Amino acid sequence: MVPVKSVFAPYIYVCTRMRVRKSKLIPREEYMRMLNMSLPEITRIIQETEYKQEIDELSSAFKGIDLIEVALSWNLAKEYQKILEIAPGNLKQFTRAYLRRWDIQNVLTILRGKMQGEKAGKIKEILVPAGSLDRAALDRLLAEDNPERIIEALKGNRIYPVLSREYPATKESGSFSRMENELYKQFFSEIIAEAESGIKGGNQFLDFIRFDIDIRNIKTLFRLRMDTFEEDAREMYIAGGVLSSADFANLNILRDRAEFIDQLKVKIRNNLLISLLDELKSEKVIHDVESRLTRVQLEQMERISKRHPFSIHPILVYLEKKKYEVFNLRALARGKESKLPSERIAEYLVV
Amino acid sequence: MVDVNMTLEMVQASQVGMKAIGAGIAVGLTGIGAGVAEMAIGSAAVGATAENKDVFGLVLLLTVIPETIVIFGLVVGLLLLF
Repeated sequence: MVPVKSVFAPYIYVCTRMRVRKSKLIPREEYMRMLNMSLPEITRIIQETEYKQEIDELSSAFKGIDLIEVALSWNLAKEYQKILEIAPGNLKQFTRAYLRRWDIQNVLTILRGKMQGEKAGKIKEILVPAGSLDRAALDRLLAEDNPERIIEALKGNRIYPVLSREYPATKESGSFSRMENELYKQFFSEIIAEAESGIKGGNQFLDFIRFDIDIRNIKTLFRLRMDTFEEDAREMYIAGGVLSSADFANLNILRDRAEFIDQLKVKIRNNLLISLLDELKSEKVIHDVESRLTRVQLEQMERISKRHPFSIHPILVYLEKKKYEVFNLRALARGKESKLPSERIAEYLVV
Repeated sequence: MVDVNMTLEMVQASQVGMKAIGAGIAVGLTGIGAGVAEMAIGSAAVGATAENKDVFGLVLLLTVIPETIVIFGLVVGLLLLF
C-alpha cells in the first residue's frame, strides 16, 4: 500500500491522466488489422484515433506517406510538451531531463541531413521538437547553411562542448557514430547526476535510467557480435548500469554465444532479462533480439510503475509507449509504401 | 473522576458534556478520514475526467464513497446524544 502522507494530490492527478492516455494507445489487434490495409486505409484509421487534429491540419500541405510522417512527429512533440506542462514539481524536472534525449536526436538528424545535402523541409518532417530545443530553435538550425554554423548556433546548449569537440573527427570520417556515442554518454551521466542530486523521487528515476543503460549496453553487445568490423567496444559503452567497463569489454571478446549469454546472466540481476537471455541463445537475427529486449524494457517499466503508482514511472511508461506507437505506425506506413509483405513489417513492430 | 463535592446536577451536566465531546470526535475524525480518502480519489477522478469525459458519472460516484465513513460517525454521534 502507498502511504497516504507521501502522496501529493497533483502526482495522483497526473499519474491517472497518464494511465488513461496509455489505455488509449493503439492495441495489438488494431496493428494486426492495419497490416492487411493499404496506405490510404491506414491514414484513415490513424485519423480516427488521437492523431485526428494533426492529420486534418496537415492534409492540405502533405499527401500519402509524408502526411503520416509529419502528423506522427507533430503529435508526438505535442503530446510530450503537454505532459511537460501538466507534470508537477520534481516530476517536471525528471520529465524534462528524460526528454533532452530528443535534442541529441534532432541535432544529429539536422547535421546528417545537411551533410548529405537534404532540403531543410525534408529534414524538418522527421524532427520531433520535444526536448529543450523547440520548433523555433530547430527552424533556426535548419536555416543555417553548413554543419559548422549549426554547431556554432548551439553555443550555450549542454551538448555544444561535445559537438564542437567531436565534429572535426566526424567531418573527416563522415560517420556520426562516435559523436552520437559521446553525446549519449554525456546525456546519461548528466541525468544520473540530476537523479542523484537528492531531489525527492530521484531514486525511482535512477532505477529507470540504470535499466535503460543496461538495455542499451546489452543491445550494443549483441550488435557488436553480429558486426564484422573490429571496433573499440569501450567507446560504445555507457557507464551507470550494472555492467562495468571491464565487464563490457570481457563480454565483447567472448566468441561463443552460449558462453557470452551465461556470463551476461551472471552480471544481470533482473529476472525478466535473465529469462529473456535464455531464450536469446537460439535467436540469431539482430533485429529480433533488439525488439525482444525493448519489449522486456517496457514490461519491466510497467512493473515498476505498478509498484510506484504515483511517481515518475507512470509518466515514463507512457512516454516510452507513445514513442513506440509512433515508431510502429511509421514502420507500418513505410513498409506499406515500400510494398513489403505484412509478415516482414510485423517483425518491426513493438507491440 | 468524580469529585465528592459535586452535586447531582453537576454530574449530569458533565455527562452531557462528555457525550457532546464524544459525538464531536466521532464526526470530526471520520470527516478528516473521509477528506484524506477523497483527496486521493478526487485527484484521480479529475485526472480521469480530464482525459475522458464519459467517466464523469462513475468517478463522481467513486469520489463520494468515503462519505459513508462520515455517516457512520454521524450515526455514532446521534446515538451518543439521543
